[in-house]
Amino acid sequence: MSTNVQDIHEDHHHAPSGLMRWITTTNHKDIGSLYLWFSLLMFFIGGFMALIIRAELFEPGLQLVIPGFFNQMTTMHALIMIFGAVMPAFVGLANWQIPIMIGAPDMALPRLNNWSFWILPFAFTMLLSTLFFDSGGPAAGWTLYPPLSLQGGNSMPFVILSIHLLGISSILGAINVIATILNMRAPGMTLMKMPIFIWTWLITAFLLIAAMPVLAGAITMLLTDRFFGTSFFTASGGGDPVMFQHIFWFFGHPEVYILILPAFGIVSTIIPAFSRKKLFGYDSMVYATASIALLSFIVWAHHMFTVGMPLAGEIFFMLTTMLIAVPTGVKVFNWVATMWRGSMTFETPMLFALAFIILFTIGGFSGLMLAMTPADFQYHDTYFVVAHFHYVLVPGAVFAIIAAVYYWLPKWTGKMYSESLGKLHFWLTTVFVNVTFFPMHFVGLAGMPRRIPDYPVQFADFNAIASVGAFGFGLSQLLFVYILYNTLKKDVTAEDKVWDGAEGLEWTLSSPPPYHSFEKAPRVE
Amino acid sequence: MSNYKKTYITVSFIVVFMFFFSYMLVPLYDIFCEITGLNGKTNQERIVNLDEKPTNRFVTIKFTSTVAGAGPFDFEPLEREMVVEVGKVYTTSYILTNQSNSLKQVTASPSVVPGAEAEYFKKIECFCFTQQEINGLETKELPLQFIIDDKLSSDTKTLILSYTMFNTTDQLGVK
Repeated sequence: MSTNVQDIHEDHHHAPSGLMRWITTTNHKDIGSLYLWFSLLMFFIGGFMALIIRAELFEPGLQLVIPGFFNQMTTMHALIMIFGAVMPAFVGLANWQIPIMIGAPDMALPRLNNWSFWILPFAFTMLLSTLFFDSGGPAAGWTLYPPLSLQGGNSMPFVILSIHLLGISSILGAINVIATILNMRAPGMTLMKMPIFIWTWLITAFLLIAAMPVLAGAITMLLTDRFFGTSFFTASGGGDPVMFQHIFWFFGHPEVYILILPAFGIVSTIIPAFSRKKLFGYDSMVYATASIALLSFIVWAHHMFTVGMPLAGEIFFMLTTMLIAVPTGVKVFNWVATMWRGSMTFETPMLFALAFIILFTIGGFSGLMLAMTPADFQYHDTYFVVAHFHYVLVPGAVFAIIAAVYYWLPKWTGKMYSESLGKLHFWLTTVFVNVTFFPMHFVGLAGMPRRIPDYPVQFADFNAIASVGAFGFGLSQLLFVYILYNTLKKDVTAEDKVWDGAEGLEWTLSSPPPYHSFEKAPRVE
Repeated sequence: MSNYKKTYITVSFIVVFMFFFSYMLVPLYDIFCEITGLNGKTNQERIVNLDEKPTNRFVTIKFTSTVAGAGPFDFEPLEREMVVEVGKVYTTSYILTNQSNSLKQVTASPSVVPGAEAEYFKKIECFCFTQQEINGLETKELPLQFIIDDKLSSDTKTLILSYTMFNTTDQLGVK
């Protein structure tokens, strides 16, 4: 972290140096960098767990780990990737970009900003420490369904308290984002003139403050069921375990969009820049994002079609779920229309954004298949579901984050990354992501259940392919780290307007931007 | 500054409201299940004001049982199947044996299939209303008295009553 470019602006600010600078910082760029580095670290920890899973699944039978540990790995992999990698990466991008895109000097609540980041290392230390308990880490799946999660070992209260901390961190971050966007825009920047990334983050922030407290409530009920004698979910005391699934997914489905809406914003920023055209259908993009967010609160039970719902319920949740395909389709068509007859060039961020459109759409289509109740009875809890959500999260959310880093890295650091290495990283990543996750569709349709360390021999070939892909994907990301290292040790040479087709206030600042972004608010026409 | 304050207050209100809303979902869920008859929940309180009105309509009641977890119990219905007249009171029982050597507390949780008809299965006396105690190696007969409400839809020919027996010894907070 000592390589951060902000050092050169240190001289006229009397901030502490060294480690204390990072602990006490209230600067949005410093905090954004902290978030991004932290999420990269978590991405590798979660990825390492994924490789343990894929190594075990390389061939049928039990070779490397015992089933209990395998279950801990699937649970932890999910928690780390969702709460540790993807969400902090988006918050990091929000911290870096929101002030410089809306013409503000910093975030609205700098001290709170510092807090919301520094909660994370403590939360994840607590979460990861459970792996060293005698009874092991959480193993009931990241969804923490009772009664299984109530029967777990001593890790359970630690996991719940760490998720509470993560929730508090996200809520504080979201409050900061909302306060900044609503109150600190440059004069002349009306809501409908905001960059689309800002819009998607504003809506995401509202989803966060509406959904995270519900998760907090659900896990608090789990905690009191286990330790304080309540019976929300314990059937012996009159509770209902299925109710947990309802409450959890009432949070869980908005959470899914929390993980993807900022990605939509990133792609909607990058595609116009490299097509040298304005974003097609800006207004419809905003309305589509808002309708996806609203719909996300009334579709939750499509995660639980098989619990024994009445027909009317299954039809309701099937139809509302399919309705989400409409605004999502509007987005995809707008991206395509933006590129139509544009003067396109294919730099690394654009490549990742293009791959996002294609591969995310594949994930969207498998989502539509899962939305069909009768079909879902076949697909539920199979590898088809695993293939679906990895397609929307890896070549979806993660590709968008990587695209954003390549797109804005020259702005953040003033240093240009190596385009040829970036392209190599793109092709390795894209090939291996498909080698990893595409075969999972086939084994899933054939009936291979998820979260099981062993499988019948007929699934062996596709699993071996997926495992090879996973190791290829994981190793390709080391190249990403090398590219970052290689960029940061260069001299500052990047122009202020790094990409000739890019638009927005951030490109009017120097590269790297000054420590306090806009000391004087710019005017937006 | 007032704009900022408005934002903070609104946003904090949403956060606090949504936390309590998650708790509100619990009674809402019960009310929703009661209105729609989902979940197969039957009455957990004694039915008092009761009048028998024989209808000369007959339905089959099937009785099943489950022991939750690895409870040291043998738990079976006395009769697996009864043909009963709608609107008349019947009595049957379940047999519970404690296979361990120590005193156990148990609670039974009932469920009726089809769930939409569960509310018409009315229990007058049931061992599921309260927590039971059973000595080590004891066998107990647990009585059940019920009536099928004449509002039961005429399509229904069979109801299944299922009990799950939970070992609640030393468990916190079980009534």
